[in-house]
This record gives sequence, C-alpha cells and structure tokens, in this order.
Amino acid sequence: MEKRPEQRSLWKGIKRGETVLEMKGITKRFPGVLANDHIDFDIKAGEIHALLGENGAGKTTLMNILYGILQPDEGEIYVQGKKVRIRSPLDAISLGIGMVHQHRKLVPAHTVLENIILGHPRAGKVLNVRRAEEELKGLCKKYGIKIDLRAKVWQLSAGERQMVEIIKAIYRGAKLLILDEPTSVLTPPETRQLLMSLKVMARDELAIIPFITHKLPIVLKISDRMTVLRNGKVVSHLKTKGATMRSLAKMMVGREVLFRTKKVEVKRGKPIIEVRNLSALSDKGVLALKNASFSIREGEIFGIAGVSGNGQHELAEVLMGLRKATGGKVIFRGRDITDSSILERWKTGIGYIPSERVEVGSIGDFSLVENIAMNLYFDNSFSRWGLLDYKKIRKHTEEAISEFDVMAPSADTKAKHLSGGNLQKLILARVLSREPQLLIANLPTHGLDVGATEFVRNKLVESKKEKIGILLISEDLDEVLSVSDTIAPIYEGEFMEIVPSEKARRDEIGTMMAGARPKR
Amino acid sequence: MGFFTMTLTASMFFLLPALGELFDQRSGVLNIGLEGMILMGVLAAVATSTETGNVWLGVVAGMAAGGLMGLIHGFLSISLKVNQVVSGTGIWILGVGLTTYYGLAYVGPVKHTIAPIIGGLTPLFFVGLALVPIFWFILSKTSFGLRVRSVGENPSVAEVSGINISRTRYIGVLVGGMLSGLAGAYLILAYAPSWSISWRVPVTEGRGFIALALVFFSMWRPFLLLVGSFAFGTLWIMGWYLQTVLPGIPIHIFRMIPYLVTVAILVLISTERFRKRAGTPAALGKPYFRGE
Repeated sequence: MEKRPEQRSLWKGIKRGETVLEMKGITKRFPGVLANDHIDFDIKAGEIHALLGENGAGKTTLMNILYGILQPDEGEIYVQGKKVRIRSPLDAISLGIGMVHQHRKLVPAHTVLENIILGHPRAGKVLNVRRAEEELKGLCKKYGIKIDLRAKVWQLSAGERQMVEIIKAIYRGAKLLILDEPTSVLTPPETRQLLMSLKVMARDELAIIPFITHKLPIVLKISDRMTVLRNGKVVSHLKTKGATMRSLAKMMVGREVLFRTKKVEVKRGKPIIEVRNLSALSDKGVLALKNASFSIREGEIFGIAGVSGNGQHELAEVLMGLRKATGGKVIFRGRDITDSSILERWKTGIGYIPSERVEVGSIGDFSLVENIAMNLYFDNSFSRWGLLDYKKIRKHTEEAISEFDVMAPSADTKAKHLSGGNLQKLILARVLSREPQLLIANLPTHGLDVGATEFVRNKLVESKKEKIGILLISEDLDEVLSVSDTIAPIYEGEFMEIVPSEKARRDEIGTMMAGARPKR
Repeated sequence: MGFFTMTLTASMFFLLPALGELFDQRSGVLNIGLEGMILMGVLAAVATSTETGNVWLGVVAGMAAGGLMGLIHGFLSISLKVNQVVSGTGIWILGVGLTTYYGLAYVGPVKHTIAPIIGGLTPLFFVGLALVPIFWFILSKTSFGLRVRSVGENPSVAEVSGINISRTRYIGVLVGGMLSGLAGAYLILAYAPSWSISWRVPVTEGRGFIALALVFFSMWRPFLLLVGSFAFGTLWIMGWYLQTVLPGIPIHIFRMIPYLVTVAILVLISTERFRKRAGTPAALGKPYFRGE
C-alpha cells in the first residue's frame, strides 16, 4: 500500500469552522449532458453540509469527482488551501476523504471486521485481528454504534451495513465523510440513531457531506449548511437556519411542489384478493414470509411499510406467481389462484410493477413499443391472424406516452435511453392501460426524483376511481402514510399489525417497521 | 513401488494444478485451460532438463512456462476482458498444439529425473504438501489474502477500498499458471518420466480437467482440496490395480472410473443444496468493468 505522508499531515491541527476543502469551477461533460457546470463547493471542519438536488442534478457526479472515481474536465480541488489532484479512490482515501455508497460496497461473504480492515494500511502483512477489533470496539462505543464485528455482512440489515461502511471510512482515517443518501434504506429508529452518531462525529471536527434527494425533513434537522444543485449548476449556497421544505423543494425542482398527494375518497367495494396464511422461502432457503393474511377490496390501497429484506418482495412474487408458496392460499375473486401460472394471473387481471425497473421491468435494448408489447402479446385484441398487430400496439404506446407524460423522442426510442422517472411512467402506463383489477406495485417510486414521485403517487391514488385494488410495497414511510387506506408494517416476514390509515400514527408504524409489537 | 506410494504420487499431480487454480479462482478468474498450462510445463521441463542436464532448471523452466501461459490468459481475460471460458479453452488448445509440435524432439524416456528421497517420494511431493497450509494461511490470515478474496467476491468494493483489481488478478493467474507448470514438471521429471506424443491422449490424460473439478469440489478450501486430491489419487491407482485383479473385464472400464466420478461430483455440486453452502467466489468468471 502506498503512503503519502505529506498529504496526510494536511489535516493536522484543523480547527472547527475552518474551510478544509474547496472545489472551484468543477465542470464535467458526458456525451450529450453537462453533468457539472462550473460548480463551486466548500466544506468546513465540524460541519454537516447537505448537497441537495433531484436525480440527474449532478450531485453524484460531483462527489464521484471528489472521491476520485471520475476526473473533472475543468476545475480545481483544494484541501486546506493546497491544490490537489485526486486520480483514484486511493488518492482520496490518503487525503482523508471517505465515501459511503448506497449500494453494494461491502463483501457479503466476509465478516464485518474483514470488510473494515480490507485495504487498510495498518492491517499488517499477517492480519492483526485482535488489535483491529479492540480499536474498532472503542470507535463504536465513542459514536454509540452497536455492531457485531464477527458477524458476516450478509446477515446484517441494510442499516447495519451502512454503519459498517461509515466505521470503515473513519477507521481508514477519513476526516471528510461523503454519504450517499444515507437514510434511504433505514427504518425510522435507525435513522434517528444514525443522525445522532453523525452529530457526535461532527463534534470531532469531521466534515460530513450527506447528499439527499427528497428527504428534506432530515436535511433540515441535521445539516448546518446546504448547497442546492439543479441541472448541473449551483442554485444556491445557504444556511440551514431559515430554510423551509417548500423553499428547498422549489429550488430543487424549479417550480412549486405540493408535499401532499391528492386525496381520493371512494367507497370500497367487494374484496378482490384474499390471502390466507401465506408463507414462502427466500432465495437463501430461509422462511421469509410467515403466515401472512389480509384482503384488498376494490378502491383500496393496501400499503406495506417495511425495510427491504423483510419478506415483502417474496410476498409480491408469490402473489404474481414468480415464487412458490410453501403454505397458505391466495383467493382472487373467489377463485383459488395459489398455483396459477404467471400468464394466467396477468390474464385474470393482476398487474405487476417490479421493484427493479431496469433489470426486470423493461428490456433496455427494446423500443418503447416492444416494451409495451411485453404486456400485450398474449392479448388477442392486439394480434391479427396470430401475428402481433404492431400498428395497434404503436398507437397504444403513443397514447400511453402522451397520457402519462413520458418524455421520449418517439415510440421507437430504446427504453435504456429513458430516465428513471420516465421509464417508471412507461411501466405504470403499460400496467394501468390493461385495466387490472389488482395492481401489485413494488417500490414504485424508489429512486425517483421529487417530480416523478409526485406523478406516480397521484396516478396510483387516481386509479382507485376505477375500482382497482392496489398492493403498495414501499420503504418510504411517508409514502405509505400519505397514499394508503390500510397500512401493514412488516418485519421479518410478519405483519406487525394491519391498521386503517385514519388510526395509523407515524411513530408507531415506524417502530413496528423495526420489529416492535403493537402495544394494543 | 507400493500401492500407497503410488497413490500419493498420483494425488500430487491433482493437487498442484488444483491449488493454483483455487488461488486463481479466489481472485475471481476462472481458467479452464489447466490442461494446456500443465502440458507447457511438461514440454519446458523436459526440454530444459535434457538440454542442460539439470533437473531443477527443468522444474524452474516448467513453472516459468506455466506462468507465462497464465499471464496470456490474464492478458485476455483481465486486460481485454474476454469471456474467461473462451480464453481458457484457447489456453488448453494452444498448450496441446504447441507441445505436440515442439515435443516431437523429446519423445521417449526422459534422461534426467528427480530421485525419490523418503519412502519413494520425491522432494516435489513434499513441496506440494507444504503448499497446502501455506496457501490456507495466506488466503485466510494475511492482508494480501483478504485482498485476493475481496477481489474475487466483489471487485467494485475492493476498488473503493484502494485495491488494484488488475494487479491482484494478474498475481492470481500467475500463481495458477506456475503451479500448473510445476505439475507438468512433476509429471515428466518425477512421476511418469516418459514423453509420448499423441494428439488424442496427451501425457496429462485429461487430468487437468479433473483438477479443475476438484477446485469446485473443495469449496475453495485448500485442506478439502488436499482430501479430494487423495481421493482421486486413490481412484486413479485403483483403476490400474483392478485390471490386474479382474483380468476378464476390459481395461477401459477401470480407467473410466475417475472421469465418471468427476462427472458425478460436478452434477452433485451443481445441485441447489450444495451451491448454497459452497461459497463460490461471487465474481468468479466475471471480467471487471469499472463503474458497473
């Protein structure tokens, strides 16, 4: 491992409030896109400086430049007033910059300890496990983090994994910590815990940059200053004091955003689906869904609130026929469909929005017309003499594009060229145009920006008028609360409770998502 | 030579290339061309020892030739990101082709061989045996081993932790190739010192592929690999013995046994039950593209 002692010593003797890092005039072009347009950014020791912006605003690009994953086309970076070049993550690490990624930056098969000391210069030729373990225990205690260092990473929850990444960065000597949407995978209690730990860390003159899309309440709670980006440009540098949700959202989106989803009140009709004692195994062969029972009626949104990995995805897959149930029954309109095939379910009127819109929801190299056809090929009204009627499908696609406001040059555009929000609108249009009776929506707004999220939620709520029943699976508690009629927090494959939304209290649902049993 | 000695001698020929391949695969590179690398080791060892009269130079040359083949596979699969099965197949065919062509000059009994030291076993046997705990120690107890395993499990994680993916994998293919080359030298200088040329049945008799299967069977653990190698060494020698005990049955039946068992094992380890526990390196066989 290379050492760069002269750079490491840059961080010696920094004081609270001193500017430790400056990025000046950072510009980065990608084919057809100006991702960063002369961005100026600075951060001081001991502050939490939130970087805000919609998807595609350039936050990730800017931070990837700071962490050495990308090289800027123009612009300079200064650490404590000295100009530096950061060519790789290794350079960034030796400058005391650490980054916590949202996805997949730990080795699941290895222990927590092995993950943390991976690549650490002091790990020694022969791993000095005991010393590392003691140092890490001290670090965890200091920041109020509870974690089993010998557990394998795959056994941890998403929140715990994130803590591991944070400890890893700090143990590696990070004095500036970049956090990519740190709360997106956490339960509310875990979020609280994280925020507390971050505050303690900031007290140790650590500079922290969380970057966040739409969790504005959290930003307002923890950050000292913020920088808002839109379309690759800085819209504003501001102090958190005095900022409001509305003013921030307006800066991010460029127009007023309502933080309420429309309310649509409809009379609930007959039950569409009844699920009795349903159980299923996960891919690992562990019982992931345990005796789930519920029913959904016409015009009802049944919201399952839970952090991913608690059995909700298995439930969605069992209902769609993608996974076998190990016990229990699924009754659709009085008919037992527990063992029906996927195609039969589509035909009887169940629609499905998979959580992975790129991997499962669409085929990137297919045109929009072909992608729409994926849900129509079995429909006789879209074929003639056994051949697909592409004229009709194209017309159908064009209608869907205009009705759902999909930004695409034409119906022949390849799906991979759509942004996440537009792709999700297309998938939503595809499913809803089939006029399903039941819609299974798995994480329908995950990773979408504020504007697209608002659109998708409103479409879901509006579809209640068509007597559609919706099973909504979401990790975003606010989404579940604002959209659903019935709320079921799920933890380790069990519904903690099933409550009508009028009676649901945010904090109670939040703690139930983390495994607390209802008090009543 | 007694049955037991023969078994041990035969086992080592499975163990050496398999150990190298195990290391290689732990770094995420699959090289199915073991057979070709072993053959190159055979050729280099026999040519060098015949020309110089020094068997140990032959061993070094064998390792160098194997290592070079490993690096070719590395260049194709790491730098050029070629499909590793395709590249490995190329390494195999290249090895068979080159040795069939250049080996013609050395056909016949090998002049200089490595003499046994203890109980009919050569020094190379003990070297191979010692490599098992050494490899175990390196992989599970050292910082370097952790880096290798991480690259094989999740290269993007390793990269953000400051690890050079290409360099680590090149070390993997180099070690894998050198051990295959060593196996080749061991075969021709110590185990069966007679060079015969046949396109259809090279001197390795397809045992490079058995070694490859053994890596999967070992669940990527060096000590289990040792056990597996002994099991196959025993099977191999049994084939020879049985034909003297039961003369009525065609010899081919017995010689088939190790290969049939290999097929059976490969079927077994492909079942779901086994796959879950095996601990296959998650990035095995996948070229690393930055930013994916």
